[in-house]
Amino acid sequence: MTKAVYSLQQHLITRTVLLMIIVFSVLSAGVWDYASRAADLSYNRLLNSASLSIIERISVQESQIDLDLPYAALSMLELAPDDKVYYEVIDHTGQHLTGYRKTPSPVDYQPHSDPQFFTAKYKGEVVSWVVQSKLLIAPAANGWVVIKLGQTRNARNELSGEIFFSSLATLSGILLLTTLLVWLGVRRALQPLSIISENLKNRSPNDLRPLNTPAIKEVVPLVDAINSYQQQLLHNLDTMKVFIADASHQIRSSLGGIQGQLDVTLQASDTEEIRSRLINIRQQHKKLTRLTNQLLAHALVTHRSDSIEPRLISLNALVEALLTETVRDQAHTQIDFSYTAKTDDIRIPGDKVSLKEALKNLLENAVRYGPDINQIDITLSPCDGNLVEIIIDDSGPGIPGHQRRQAIQRFSRLSSDVSGSGLGLAIVETVIQAHQGTLKLERSPSGGLRVLIRLPGAPL
Amino acid sequence: MNLLLQRLALIMALIPHAMLSHAEEATDQPSSLVIFSATDTSAMQPIIDAFKHISPAIKIHYHEFQTNELFNAIQQLPEDQLPDLVISSAMDLQIKLVNDGYAQPFTDPVTETLPHWANWRNEAFGFTYEPVVMVYNKPAFQGIPLPNTHEKLALAIRSNNDFFMNRIGTYDIRLSGVGYLFASQDEINSSISSRLKENLGRVVTNLHCCSSNIIEETASGKLVFGYNVIGSYAIKYAQTDPTIGIIFPEDYTLVMSRVAFITRQARHAENARSFLRYLLSLEGQQVIADKSGLIALHPNVKGPLTYSHLQRDYPLRFKPIPLGPALMVYLDHLKQRRFINEWNNAILYDVFVP
Repeated sequence: MTKAVYSLQQHLITRTVLLMIIVFSVLSAGVWDYASRAADLSYNRLLNSASLSIIERISVQESQIDLDLPYAALSMLELAPDDKVYYEVIDHTGQHLTGYRKTPSPVDYQPHSDPQFFTAKYKGEVVSWVVQSKLLIAPAANGWVVIKLGQTRNARNELSGEIFFSSLATLSGILLLTTLLVWLGVRRALQPLSIISENLKNRSPNDLRPLNTPAIKEVVPLVDAINSYQQQLLHNLDTMKVFIADASHQIRSSLGGIQGQLDVTLQASDTEEIRSRLINIRQQHKKLTRLTNQLLAHALVTHRSDSIEPRLISLNALVEALLTETVRDQAHTQIDFSYTAKTDDIRIPGDKVSLKEALKNLLENAVRYGPDINQIDITLSPCDGNLVEIIIDDSGPGIPGHQRRQAIQRFSRLSSDVSGSGLGLAIVETVIQAHQGTLKLERSPSGGLRVLIRLPGAPL
Repeated sequence: MNLLLQRLALIMALIPHAMLSHAEEATDQPSSLVIFSATDTSAMQPIIDAFKHISPAIKIHYHEFQTNELFNAIQQLPEDQLPDLVISSAMDLQIKLVNDGYAQPFTDPVTETLPHWANWRNEAFGFTYEPVVMVYNKPAFQGIPLPNTHEKLALAIRSNNDFFMNRIGTYDIRLSGVGYLFASQDEINSSISSRLKENLGRVVTNLHCCSSNIIEETASGKLVFGYNVIGSYAIKYAQTDPTIGIIFPEDYTLVMSRVAFITRQARHAENARSFLRYLLSLEGQQVIADKSGLIALHPNVKGPLTYSHLQRDYPLRFKPIPLGPALMVYLDHLKQRRFINEWNNAILYDVFVP
């Protein structure tokens, strides 16, 4: 079982919760600010009403400033039932007139008739104050009379706490709900994944049907990809099955043929007949050997293409050596070989053994499937884009355009009358692909088959 | 005000020396409890005795003052000589002291039975329920209808000047803090208080320092009517002297409560809390109802001198004076000067000057 690096669900939910915590903190700060301002606003209004009712009872009588402190002023402040109240009235000369002494003032207070609110400590307690002034215009008293009225903050703190905590309760409720919804949403969104994995897990190895396409749009591509991958695997498996079936059939029929020939030969007494049978047996045996060699060669190049590090090799030398071998083998036939190299020293990175095998197959094919009087031309030339071109032309019957693709597949022989393994071009293609090259089948100038190979050259 | 200042000077001359010895004595004993009180010792003694009975370890040093003396003493004494518990019937002065920061909070389940008007900030606690009543001489009023509201009293005085002339008594608000409180509460609660004052002045009302004086003189026949006297004293007096009649005015009957607070500077705060807890508890309140002659506030206390009893006998008229900063309005010295001036002009009206 694959070890999971992280859970998408956990990841999403953790992030959501973190986000919610951040949102919660930010909103809490906002709510706290709002709650304090709301409480201050309410009680400042109360304070201001009281200070107004005091200020309008200031009068000048017999050249003396007098204040008739209204009962309502302090009794309305009892709306904050647990708060202490302080007040001071300062006359136009700046002298204490009545009330508490040495009450605080805002910094740089300039008397004016608008109320000014501030918070300052008095008698060891934090007190919210309003300061307001009244301009007296009288011969005896000319100037600003200042009234300061303060109230401790119990009621304000209680109110702001109440607003804060009730808002916070609502807020936490909403955030919890959101988190829950996100959790459900994530689970719901990831559910198709578990359905698919359950589906795959519960399948028997023999069940090769494609997965049902789900109703969810976003999951369709995934299922399609799985199905297409499965189809590819099935196809490869099929090819492999056919290959094995074909190979075993080939080997069996060859062995069967040889067995039959041997049985008949054992019965024969005539020397001539024995000889002709032996020649048959030899033919069959040759065919079997070639088939076995091709199978091994195919396995070899497949293996080498996976495991061998490419080295710089001289293509000229390779082709020349191969040609020498082939010409020697075909000396008794009427097949002519020609070799043209545009450059003397063409080097490419590659595996010498595989390449030699591929080219050898091509030459053998040209010989095998061509007519008895054949002309085979090999051309090596560098071409554009640091590529190297290898062309092998023959003057045989060629392959019609629509069969060229099929020709490259394993065990596909276009005609059954000529002995062949059906592996030749498949081997070639495997090698060329391993060298990042291309293989093309075309028509040669003489009407036969042209095999055109392009391989990447040595790095510049 | 001059009188007050003179008294203050007198107190300042006497009290610190007297207090100093007690304070030192108290400091040395962690089991002490220093109480400054403006309530008759005779009324408080039964409660103190009952408390001593359940907490014998606590030594109570009880000092009696006049209300104004007590107020000045608390403000003038150095911190280390302040008492642990302050008790006074002058509710306004007590509130002023609490507002000035002389009190510390006392939070205890026992305070939950208190009506909200008798508890300010969990610092000042009212522990009695004493109506402010009118008293009259029963024989003198035979055949004459009783003025059972403030309005009727004003009318009766006006229509029967000769009967009341020189025979009505009330507090001299220049001398008595409680008298001043009652007069200012009349001003707040009644629209006819000025008219009543004018009429009281017209018949040359006698002015007294204390409730007991008014009650005694009314009983003796020297006065026929006493206005604004402490109900508990009147009830107690009437129990032994049938000549005294009591009127609980039907329009409104003010209710005064004696107020206690624990000082912030208390050196025996734990003892003070024990005492205050006892004072407000059902047991303590029962002692008040049974023995002190004051009237208990606790709704579950049984007996004639209790809140529940009064409510039953005289329904729908009681108007407790609520504890709160509004009580400080009439302590503002400009307000006080103005109020006393008005009172002087009304009460000290000279009938013989045209």
